[in-house]
Amino acid sequence: MGGWNGTVEHLHIAPRSFLPMREMERIALVAGRGITGDRYSTGDGFYSDRPEEGRQVTLFEAETLEALLRDHRITLAPAEHRRNITVRGVPLNHLVGRRFRVGPVLLEGTRLSTPCRHIEQITGQEIFTVLLHRSGLHARILEGGEVTPGAAVTPE
Amino acid sequence: MAKAIHRVSVVLRSVETLPGDIRLLELADRDDWPLPPFTAGAHVDLHLPSGRIRQYSLCGDPAENTRYRIAVAREAAGRGGSAEVHAALRPGQELLLSLPRNNFPLVPSGRVVMVAGGIGLTPFLSMLPDLTRTGRDFVLHVCAKAPERHGFTAALGGLAPGRLALHFSRDGTRLDLAALVAGLGPEDHLYVCGPAGMMAEARRLGAGLGARLHLELFGAGEATGHTAYEVELARSGAVIPVAAGETMLEALRGAGLDIPSSCEAGVCLECRTRYLAGTPEHRDLAMPAADRHAWLTPCVSGCAGGRIVLDLPNPDAPAAG
Repeated sequence: MGGWNGTVEHLHIAPRSFLPMREMERIALVAGRGITGDRYSTGDGFYSDRPEEGRQVTLFEAETLEALLRDHRITLAPAEHRRNITVRGVPLNHLVGRRFRVGPVLLEGTRLSTPCRHIEQITGQEIFTVLLHRSGLHARILEGGEVTPGAAVTPE
Repeated sequence: MAKAIHRVSVVLRSVETLPGDIRLLELADRDDWPLPPFTAGAHVDLHLPSGRIRQYSLCGDPAENTRYRIAVAREAAGRGGSAEVHAALRPGQELLLSLPRNNFPLVPSGRVVMVAGGIGLTPFLSMLPDLTRTGRDFVLHVCAKAPERHGFTAALGGLAPGRLALHFSRDGTRLDLAALVAGLGPEDHLYVCGPAGMMAEARRLGAGLGARLHLELFGAGEATGHTAYEVELARSGAVIPVAAGETMLEALRGAGLDIPSSCEAGVCLECRTRYLAGTPEHRDLAMPAADRHAWLTPCVSGCAGGRIVLDLPNPDAPAAG
């Protein structure tokens, strides 16, 4: 599948559930495992008691944040959606079962992320319903490497 | 017991003893990562090692993002939570908290008149930095039995003259709440946190203030309006009470059942469970109507009667406990 080219806008990790996400200048993705320092690579995530190979890294569309503001007057910052990689120009909902590159890293989309009350509890905003079907993508890491903001996101 | 990943996990960094048999606890992330933010007046549930869960106001400055502070007065006649905090908690210990919640938030405008009784001073300690930073007009009335029972002299030392009024019942300077209410201006908001007697008096005297009366109520005062019911587990015969304001999922987990869930909002249906008798209030957003005669969603579903019977525990599930 081609026809699109995107970029990485923001990178975020948190070491434990509920803690605020921190914006990073670079992150290291480890094949088959996760992001160094992130809660889902160490078993400290809110959902880590239900292991899932496809939750090694999560992605979110910058365009969704803009749509929330445009259509619902909800301001949600990139640090608040709690996914790791905020991308622009990437049709995440089309990438379940597809392989794509983020910089040097090869990912495979495993399933759409679902919104959860957890994020609503943390942000204190009623965003659950408006995030249905657009709360990002779960992926597994086939080839690891380092990713920085501005990295290209391309179909494989 | 709650899993650490389902709560805010903190380390008790220090315990300071204050006058009035008060312990001031300083809590932080184990790596000093910023903690979930809170607003002035917020509280957390503290999970004690015994399994007790107690609510305590956060009494630090909301702008300080790597520390939570809570202050606990030992109440000999209490239900045991404060005694456990005093006797059992040691620096270095890991503790679990809920996210901060705020039922006692500052309104954005108007003069703020605060009345604190005893340890009820704690939510106001998080408000003072906010009020001072934003230049709001406020006054804090601190009520205690006697000066030596008032543990926060240092915390209140920086307040400008006219911002603080101390009332000590033993010295005959007890606060006249009726006179205070009568003297409030039309834009003034009254905030009260203190012992049950003070709260009842404030509720009575301040009834005419409407939305300008703010009472911080913990414990039994937090009734949610949902009614309690029972869940019967058909396969074991166990009966599990679901308290008012509790979800069926929380009650089942509290009884040791391992129920998988994800969204906890009635969408993903991961916690979907078969019921055999009783009338559920479904409340989910996603289940096909044809399935609702047999399945419910414990994260959001309730019970229209006194009891509902579930097809649990699952035969392949590990033993409860």
